[in-house]
Amino acid sequence: MKKLIFAFAAIAFLSSCIGDDFLEDRVDPVLRITGSIDTLEINTTFQLEFRFLNNVGAPETVDVIWLTSDNSVATVSNTGLITGVGVGDVVVSGEYTTSEGIFVSDEIAFSVGMTTAVEEEEEEEEEIQTRTGRIETTTFYTLEGDFTMSVVDDVLTIEIAEDWAASSGLPGLFVYLSNNRNSIANALEISEVTTFRGAHSFTVEGVGLDDYSHLLYFCKPFNVKVGDGAIQ
Amino acid sequence: MKNIIIAILVLSATNIAFAGGPWPQPKGKAYIKLSEWWTIFDEHFTDNGGIDPNLTSGIFNTTVYVEYGLTNRLTTVVNAPIFSRSIMNTQRSGTTNDIIVPGEGINSIGDIDLALKYALTKPGSNIPVSVSLTLGIPTGVSSAGQFGSLQTGDGEFNQYIKIDAGKSFQLGSTPSYVSVYAGVNNRTQDFSEEFRTGAEFGVGLGKGKFWLAGKLNIIESFRNGGNVVSANSTGIFANNSESLILGVDANYYITDKFGISAGYADIITGKIIAAAPSYSVGVFLDLAR
Repeated sequence: MKKLIFAFAAIAFLSSCIGDDFLEDRVDPVLRITGSIDTLEINTTFQLEFRFLNNVGAPETVDVIWLTSDNSVATVSNTGLITGVGVGDVVVSGEYTTSEGIFVSDEIAFSVGMTTAVEEEEEEEEEIQTRTGRIETTTFYTLEGDFTMSVVDDVLTIEIAEDWAASSGLPGLFVYLSNNRNSIANALEISEVTTFRGAHSFTVEGVGLDDYSHLLYFCKPFNVKVGDGAIQ
Repeated sequence: MKNIIIAILVLSATNIAFAGGPWPQPKGKAYIKLSEWWTIFDEHFTDNGGIDPNLTSGIFNTTVYVEYGLTNRLTTVVNAPIFSRSIMNTQRSGTTNDIIVPGEGINSIGDIDLALKYALTKPGSNIPVSVSLTLGIPTGVSSAGQFGSLQTGDGEFNQYIKIDAGKSFQLGSTPSYVSVYAGVNNRTQDFSEEFRTGAEFGVGLGKGKFWLAGKLNIIESFRNGGNVVSANSTGIFANNSESLILGVDANYYITDKFGISAGYADIITGKIIAAAPSYSVGVFLDLAR
């Protein structure tokens, strides 16, 4: 009898190996020039920064090719350092081709003049800038509501509107910021969700309005996506 | 979704009995079964009855089931998952093949059911009726793994009272039986109580050497429990699993007393429960024959 029990247990153990599930998490790569400039003072420089998100939405360091539309107005080095050399309007672009042959680019347009104008408009915009979206279920569980995001004093606030409704039967429901609408692999975990009806909010320090593309809701214990909202 | 696993564990217990029904074991006689029961699921019924995907999970129980006749009317029943394994698959990126969430598995003993069944009617009665009390001992693991989502037990103490009735008869020249049951499962730890009912119809072919049985099992929640918070703070989960399951069992007597069995059951509809079939194979010793 002992041998029989052992044989059954052995069969159970051997036949119950942990396998692999594959998540469809491919997204389009994105290159974003971060920061902006309206007017660059002639004979001064401005360092461009960029962010590249790969085919799963993960940040990746790449060598961007920088180009200027008019070398007589502004030059740009291979590290993205702009130098104003003549008065006029110009477009500087960054380009990158991924290992899969996907071409991505971004550009900024600015003027070269007698003064540099970077901060004034940005500061004005920071006071009022918001992004919005709507959370919608991707399953049969109830999950919906509008949201608004804003940044004040380097603190990102996500306001979930009064129309928020989620099934309280969801175990371990967590909210994330992500650049991949299907995966939390490179996402920022914000909080466990404890409010299932009505308005509430989350705050996150050190995150910009443009850093992420989606708000994601995941059942964390089972790593199952329940809903999402594109940040508009 | 954690409750899904709990519900599965309950179903594994209800799927076991070729013996059972209202018929008690004769005094000093026993029915012993060693079986392997398993289910693997990548979908589940949600709290509103829809079907959603989930990370592939599985539960595998090696179970010893024993019925022993203390008297001709009183039978004790033990259903002991002596080896229970719960797993969740590794999740990988379909794009990069990188691991997103590593897979996990646990091995332990499962929740043990101890029961007493008392025949209200005399042995050999035309329509036997029995009542039974089953105590579900939380000997399994109710929360394990990185997120506490691996379970081999529900972590609560069940007290399940049911009544069984049945009838043996000849279908032409084929020995047959039908049985029905209904009961209430009282649960602790703020889990909702349950109403359970079901029916079974079996026929004995090949001069009673091969028994084929169709089964119906229904669980309805009273929805009177609270939102159960897991001890390791993985979240809040409703505990109101419901199901309607159809199954078939085949039992073949190789000798007069020793036989092999195989079972298949599938869920027709449900709430907060895996949407996948379960399987079982086993060997049994029927000492009452």
